[in-house]
Amino acid sequence: MEIVLENLVPIPLKEKFSKRTSAVWNTKVLFSQGEKIQIQAPSGTGKTTLIHLIYKLRHDYEGQVLYDAKPLTEIKNGELADTRQKKISIIFQDLRLFENLTARENIELKRVLTAPIYDASVIDEMASRLGISHILHQKAGVCSYGEQQRIAIVRALVQPFNWLLMDEPFSHLDRENIEKAASLIAEECNKRQAGLLITDLEADTHFNYTKRYQL
Amino acid sequence: MLQQILKKIISTGVGKWRFVAAAAGLSIALLLILSAVQIQANYHELLYGASNQDSIANFLVINKKIDGNNTSNTLSDQDINKLKSQFFVETIGQLTSSRFKVSAQSPSERFPFYTDLFFESVPNEFIDVQSDDWTWKEGSTNIPMIIPNQFLDLYNFGFAPSQNLIQLTQSMVMALPVVINIHRNGQIIPYTGRVVGFSDRISSVLVPQNFLDWANRQFGFQQAGETSRVVIRTKDPGNPALVQYLKENDLVTNADKTRFSKYRQIVNAVVSASWITGAIMLMFALLVLSLFIQLTISSTKKEIGLLVTLGASPKQLQQFLLKQFLPLNLVITFACLLNIAVLQRWVQKELATQNMLVNPWISMYTVIAALSIVVVLWWVNVRTIKKYISLNAR
Repeated sequence: MEIVLENLVPIPLKEKFSKRTSAVWNTKVLFSQGEKIQIQAPSGTGKTTLIHLIYKLRHDYEGQVLYDAKPLTEIKNGELADTRQKKISIIFQDLRLFENLTARENIELKRVLTAPIYDASVIDEMASRLGISHILHQKAGVCSYGEQQRIAIVRALVQPFNWLLMDEPFSHLDRENIEKAASLIAEECNKRQAGLLITDLEADTHFNYTKRYQL
Repeated sequence: MLQQILKKIISTGVGKWRFVAAAAGLSIALLLILSAVQIQANYHELLYGASNQDSIANFLVINKKIDGNNTSNTLSDQDINKLKSQFFVETIGQLTSSRFKVSAQSPSERFPFYTDLFFESVPNEFIDVQSDDWTWKEGSTNIPMIIPNQFLDLYNFGFAPSQNLIQLTQSMVMALPVVINIHRNGQIIPYTGRVVGFSDRISSVLVPQNFLDWANRQFGFQQAGETSRVVIRTKDPGNPALVQYLKENDLVTNADKTRFSKYRQIVNAVVSASWITGAIMLMFALLVLSLFIQLTISSTKKEIGLLVTLGASPKQLQQFLLKQFLPLNLVITFACLLNIAVLQRWVQKELATQNMLVNPWISMYTVIAALSIVVVLWWVNVRTIKKYISLNAR
């Protein structure tokens, strides 16, 4: 699946980017299937906005986002849900877990939303690799932010996808845990020959990036 | 598994009591409206059911009101056709009267009597007497007759005691032949008459139709006149419309057969009131139900929004919600039907002690009403869920 941004600019940032150029905003950008892309930028330049625009959570923009040449505006409820179940997975910066559900239920939800590609035992394997096996039965709301971040990572990896969008996914993890998480994510992407798109404040070497963009 | 997780996410939004209250409201409304249907069905059965029919009640002899102002009190063809076209008239029969002079006398010296007489006839289907002797063939000198029961009563309880005569049973009367004299141009032609039955329905001396037609041609000294009385068969002599029609057209019939008309109007009003109450209750219940669904959805607005963000399709959510609400509706409807079935048993037993017979089972109409309500409930569920999910899924 190919994602294309055509002269995309969020309306709140329009004025700002009319004065200076950007590698992503107001230009044409092509993300091909299987690419590993890093978007690097300081705070307030629209990293989260970009992720939300691509994921169709925001509508306040000019220009176009295209999934396989189809404008996002033409993708409606049913098809959008199907895309989110099978083609695009996401790790939000604000995680977006159900606080009343246990960690396992949060992950399971995503696994069974469409025809599962993994057995339920895969959840335990991934959780154990990220060191969160012991909190799977706890309500997500009572877990620490670092634990919640790892729950969100596992949740994003139990579904089929062609693209994995990540918005500062390691912000609350220590170096060791970042390495474990990054290697799991890279493995899962390689299994699916999926692309990944990650935003971060600074240049990093978590993945073998094929492209890097500055916002 | 998905269902369980969704249930955990969505059912936390609304309190248990609200759920119970909404279900209770729906139950009461359903119980009321289905009872109204069942009451209507019972009422209908009491009025028109075969087992509650009274053979006299369905036949009414109708004639013009005689008030002394009109020279003629006959019914014109137009009057009869108009009456025939009324919805409450099933069939109509004209009473033919004899147009010759006739008298009857005793054949025996032991019970001497003599009386001038008249005959009338009416099509057989209007006669309430079953008798094999009720036939006449041309050439026969035996004439079967049906006389009103009241005649015998008048004789037995009025005339006989005052004249010191013996009282007669029906079978005694039927065993006694009578000499019937038909007069033609001063000639007397004797026949033998025999009473073959007693009628509660038509107060006249009836002879077979074919005999009277023949005799009128043979002995009649005047042209066929207009009909003065007709007999109608009606499903319901207490029908207020029938009473109204008779009144408007200066017609009269046996009053006590139609006197229930007034009570009927009152009962009709009561039954309609229960009907309307039930319908209004149902509308409120549907409103409550739809508000309850809206409340459930809007109180879990955040969760539904997140589910959609994560990729739950509106269709998945709709199906899930429908599964949460629809079975409850079905259970409530079935429970109400069951309740009414039990009540109906009880009502049937109570009414039976007063000789009022109704079916011990709930009527087909009640079941049909329940099924229709299920369809309406389903529609309200689907519509509300669709509307509010798509509102919240944006």
